[in-house]
Parts: sequence; structure tokens; C-alpha cells
Amino acid sequence: MRSDLVVTGLGTIGPHGAGVEALAAGLAQSRVVRCEVDQSPAWHPAQPARFAGRVDPAQLKPWIDAAKARRQSLPSRLAVAAGRMAFEDAGLERAARAGRDVAVSLGTAFGPNDFTAKLLDQIAGAGPQSASPFLFMESVANAHAGQVALDSELRGANITVVQREASGLLALIQGAACFDDGACELALVGMVDEMGSLTHGMLDQYAALSRGAAGGGELGRAFDAGRDGFFAAEGATLLVLERASDAAARGARVRARITGAVRANDPSAPRTDWGSGVAHLSAALARGMQRHGLSPADFDAVVSGASGSRRGDWLEAQVLKRVLGAEALPTVLAPKATLGEFGGGFLGAAILALSSPFGPTPGFESIDPELGIRPHDGRELAPPQRLLVSSLAAGGAAAWLFVDAP
Amino acid sequence: MGAVTPYGLGVDAFAQGLASGQAAIGDVELFSTELHRTHIAGEVALDLEAALPDLAPAHRRRLSRSDTFGLVAAREALDQARARELATQAGLFLGSSTGGMFEGESFYWDLRQPGARRPRVSRIASQQHNGPTDAVARALGFGGPVVTLSSACSAATMALEAALRSLRSGEVDLALAGGADSLCQLTYAGFNALRAVDEEVCRPFQASRAGLSLGEGAGVLVLETAEHAAARGARVLATFAGAGSSCDAHHMTAPDEDGAGLALALEKALADARLAPEAIGLVNAHGTATPLNDAAEWKGLERVFGTRLAEIAVMATKGSVGHLLGACGGVEAIASILALARGKLPPAPNPGPLDAECPAGLAHGGERALSLPCAALSVNLAFGGANAAVVFRSAASPASEGAG
Repeated sequence: MRSDLVVTGLGTIGPHGAGVEALAAGLAQSRVVRCEVDQSPAWHPAQPARFAGRVDPAQLKPWIDAAKARRQSLPSRLAVAAGRMAFEDAGLERAARAGRDVAVSLGTAFGPNDFTAKLLDQIAGAGPQSASPFLFMESVANAHAGQVALDSELRGANITVVQREASGLLALIQGAACFDDGACELALVGMVDEMGSLTHGMLDQYAALSRGAAGGGELGRAFDAGRDGFFAAEGATLLVLERASDAAARGARVRARITGAVRANDPSAPRTDWGSGVAHLSAALARGMQRHGLSPADFDAVVSGASGSRRGDWLEAQVLKRVLGAEALPTVLAPKATLGEFGGGFLGAAILALSSPFGPTPGFESIDPELGIRPHDGRELAPPQRLLVSSLAAGGAAAWLFVDAP
Repeated sequence: MGAVTPYGLGVDAFAQGLASGQAAIGDVELFSTELHRTHIAGEVALDLEAALPDLAPAHRRRLSRSDTFGLVAAREALDQARARELATQAGLFLGSSTGGMFEGESFYWDLRQPGARRPRVSRIASQQHNGPTDAVARALGFGGPVVTLSSACSAATMALEAALRSLRSGEVDLALAGGADSLCQLTYAGFNALRAVDEEVCRPFQASRAGLSLGEGAGVLVLETAEHAAARGARVLATFAGAGSSCDAHHMTAPDEDGAGLALALEKALADARLAPEAIGLVNAHGTATPLNDAAEWKGLERVFGTRLAEIAVMATKGSVGHLLGACGGVEAIASILALARGKLPPAPNPGPLDAECPAGLAHGGERALSLPCAALSVNLAFGGANAAVVFRSAASPASEGAG
């Protein structure tokens, strides 16, 4: 991956609302926005998790065409909206993109589950010949990437990455790779997911979600001793990537510099949980840092993917401590405690961490002695100059990103 | 290389099946098609125990159909390359369009049964799109980058491109790439809803074509840098010279009728391979056999190859095994490499008059010799307008840069 890529646009929509300011305010205030999930379809177990971070449909309206939206799944609508915001934020109107090779690389953990379920209901209920072509078209995992390209007339590579919690970071890295060998000039990268009753219920069936066992309600208590699962959310966050020289030539505001990335896999991970491959993942990250000429002391802060998951936070903590040093850990931000798991808010937080204040980590009460990490407590920080962004997925995939201040 | 196709398990079965000139497309037995509009597909006859004899029955039961295809193909490829022990540092890039949907839809319908006992949630553990990738990574110990590309019918070709970029960047020295997908009722009903499925065996580029035949399977390739292959004395089957992708940005399911989007991907792949169009002697076309797709694809090819397209040998693998969706790019890459190695195309099944609008140089009526040395271009188009192409040179062609 090239080391001269910069982020010049950020578009985001999620439980906190639409736009960068809404996300930044949510992070600064440590405000967890959640609503009750419809339990009537009975997807959930007894004593279920009740809340998810969902998008207020009114927030979408200004960003999408109502007529087209009727034929789009929620992930498609979210992605189209975030894509438009990202280009607007980058100052890249349609005319400025015309004729340029713009790649799209979007991650999703689950794809359009609700449309898929509707199509399956049609097939089982009224028979396969009643299947709706438009439901089918929107049930494929890459529908949202295609809709973004269609909406913004983007004719570069169109990539969809599906790798659970790491989908967003892996999609960013895959989009960044499109610049190699001149395969694109601009890229729109990010993550989108919906969190309807079905997906929420299935995650809850796996006991992945916080049910508020520690008291204080359902929260993704990142790194906390009493964590009992993550808080699931939906949304979309898309970033505009371009070469630093191109951004400078057009006088674009640079939000962040992407200077390197590392990918690995923990083969010890079971299918639906995190593994125990601390040594392997730590070695991969350390090698990657070395390849990019970085040492642990070079990072001012970590933007951690810790979410309140029992095994995931454990693995994250062990890898961070082993690579960066248990005694020398920089500030650890855990934005998923505020934003929830999935929905891409994490990517937006990783960029905003360079310029916006973060409030205390919601739900964190006491250090887990096995983890030994106290995430950010809300104190004022000097703006970080270099971040390590970490994303470990259930099933084993791992991705890290090195992000510098402009 | 490793393959699972409707011809059977393994690259040899695939090669022999292609050489037979008979399509492996017949009645669907995996699920009842009584209520569907069509009734045939390229289905893999899968004996799990025979396919993975050393796996404990409990482990085998946890694998989805797609997982099994992916794992069988991956083992074959790594064993052929004598690279199993290298997986700990290798990358894994797999395409899948539906992952474990066959198992997922059955779980969902059981869950929806009024009054029925709730099915065990572990039954959908393999439903995710990344299921086959994770199953291969876990079983074979992949420790490098592991990425699932789910760009519908271009997924495996994009996975090959992703692996190529990873190798070139120095991230890994060796990667396994391709795709795996299985039949399921969702795609079977969905493509039928689009009126895209032929009631008979598909006939790519023929005047009488009336749609695609669905299929299932897996196709994966072990890719490594030329230096790495040379250092360990590996046998090189072909050179992976380049790749390119584009998007039509035209329609979610229909291809851009003037072929402009596809042409962009082809031009990018050729530029990436540092080859002129004249170097291409074989095109493995997407060739779904839908009236719209084949015509649009031909327009895209004409934009790049001009009148010379008439001289180029064309394969349409889907006419033999059906449309393997997220796996088709892997299987078609293997078919292309086999053809380069043999110096000829296998006979295309079910020959018939070609469409004058897309008179592809298929091997109708017997094998067709290639004008060697030449390079092969393998092409895929997908929902969302996602186009992808890869270029291979035969191992015997003049050495140059690329991945083995």
C-alpha cells in the first residue's frame, strides 16, 4: 500500500445523526444513542438484549432520492447518503470527479439481511416464482457498493469486503491498494451495516450482545471488568482517499494521512468468536510496524476496536500490550463503547481522533486485571500526531492502520 | 490449482470434463425445483466423507457446502504447490457471493415455521459471506491477510487481483486466491425472477441462447512471487501478469449495453500486465448466455480488440459447468491456464449457430488450437456493474515480471 494517501472527505450517518459534526459531538459527549429493537418477530432468545443503535430515517431524507430509495435496501440508502456527504466534505463535486478513475471499496459485516429475509419469506410463502427481482438485486452483499457507484457515477474498481468486525478497515486497505500501479485516482472507502431485528436477534442468540448483566443497562463496556458483550449499531461511514500530491494540487483540506497498514489472521479463532493467537498477531503487527519504520514510541494514541466483547477485548488488550509495552501504552480510545459495533462509526472516529476531543469511555468502571487497560477517561489530550487503529474480528481476521495528523 | 466443479472434485476431473465436450449440467437434486420455473443446474455430487476423509465427522458437519468446496479446492492447490506448510505466513483472498446461504435459508425457514421447535443457532454459524474464507483459513492455518471479496459474480476475479496487489506490495510472498459458492434456493429463485435462467442447458454466444445455467463449486490458485517460487524450486504453471477492475455505473443488474465499462477493466488489466491487445490469444469470456450479457460483453471486447477479435479463441466455461457466481472467476482462471498449457481449447458443449452480433471464436465441433505463445484474458461481470479481468501467460512464454 502506498504511504502517500490522505483522507480528504468524511461522510457518516449513524445513531448520532448525519454528518461529521453529529459524530464528533457524540464522541465528545460520550453519548450512546440507542433505541428499542422490535422483538415481535421472535428472533431473540429469552431475556434478550433490547437495544441497538439505529438510524433515524429522517436523517437520511436530505441525502437520498425518495423515488430511488424505495427500491434500495437500508444499507444501500445509508451508503449512498454517506458517499454524497464524503464527496461534499472533500469538495469534490460531480464535475470535479468526472473522467477520473474513482474506486469504491466498502466493507459490510452482514450485508442486506433484512431484504434477504424478505426474499426468503416470498420464496417460502408465495412460492419461488413470486420472488421479487428488485429484492433479489438488493439482497447481494455488493448492492450498496453498486448503488454508490451508480449514484455518484464512479467507474473505478467496485469492491465489497465481508470480514465481520474488520470489514471496514480491510475495505479501506483494499481501496488504498487500488492506488498501487495507478489502478485508480480517487477512492471512496468505508463500511456500512444495518442492525434490524433479525441481525440483532441472531447476534443475541450467540450471546454476543450486552444484556446489561453488570447493571447499568446494555452498554459495550470496552476493556471493563464487567463487560458482557457489545452494543450493536447500524450506519455508514465513507472516506475519500486520494494521493497527497493530488489533494495539495487542488488545495483540499486534509483530515488525515494514511501511512501504512498491516493485515493478518488468527487461525486459532473459532467461527463466531475471537481466538487466542496473541503471539501470532503481535508478531504480525510488530513486523508491519518495522516494515514501515515505526516503533511503539511513535504512537500518541491507539484507536482500539474494543467493543465490550469478552474474548475480543481480551485479545485486543494482549496484542496491544505485547507490541506497545504494557507499561508504555499511549492513550487508548475505545469509540465503539459510544458508537456501537458495526455501522462504520469506528472508521469516522479513527479520523476524528486527530482533531476532536473524546469524552470518557462509556460504561468503563473498573480495570479487568487480565486486560490491564484503562481506556480514555475524558481528560483533555494534546492532538495526537500518529495513531494506531486496531480492528480484530471474530473468526480471526485482523487489520491495523497507521494514521498521521495532516 | 484446486477445483471443485460439477464434473467432480479436483483439477483433473475438471480438465477431463472440459475435454469431453459434454456439459455437466442436469437436474437439480440438492433441493426440490418443483415450484421453480427451471429445473437444471451444474450441481456437484458431494460425498463429504470422501471429500474430506481425515476430518472428524463433527467438524465436517459444521462446514457449509461452500466451505467444503473451498476447503477441498484449497487443499488440492496447496498440496499440488507443495505449500501447505507455508500457509502460516500466506495470504488468503477468496470470493463468495452467497457464502453459506444454502444452510442459512434452511435455518431461516425452519425458524419461521409456526409452532416448530427453534432450530439450533449453530446451524447458521457458516451462513456468513466470509464463511468459506474463514473455514479455509482455520483448517489450513492461514496467518497472513485473510479477506473475503463479495462482489457477486466478479468476486473470485477480484480476489485474484487483491492477491496480486498484496504480492506485488511485498505484504506476502505467497497467497491462495479464488472463490467458492454453492447453489441455494435464493439465487435459484432470484435469477429466475430476473428471467435470466434458461430452461435448457445454457448456450453462450449462440443465436438461440435464452439465459444462464446456475452452478456451484470452487476454484483456487496458489500465487507467489517469481522469486519465491524460484527460491523454493516450485513448478510454475503460468504467470499471473496483470489485473484490472471497473464499474459500469449504469444499472444494478443489466450490463452497460455499449460495453464501455467492461472495456475499461480490460484496458486496465492489459496495461497492468504491460501487454498490448495483440498479445492476447485467448479470452475466457464471462459468457453467461443471457441475451443481454453476451451482446454487451462482446461490445466491450470489440472496443479493446477491434476487428482482431474475430481471430481470438474464446472459451465460455459456463457452457460446461454453469455459472458458479462468486466462484466462477477462480474456475475460469484455471480453465484458461489449462488451455494455455495444452495449447488448445477444449470443445465447447452443445454447439449451434452463433449470434451474428457476438460471433465468439468458440471451439464448436472440436478442439481449437491456440496461436502460441499468447496470453489469456479471463473476464467477469457482476451485479452492481462490477467488472474484473485477469491476464495469464503460459509458463513457457518469455519470462517477465508477475506472480507465478
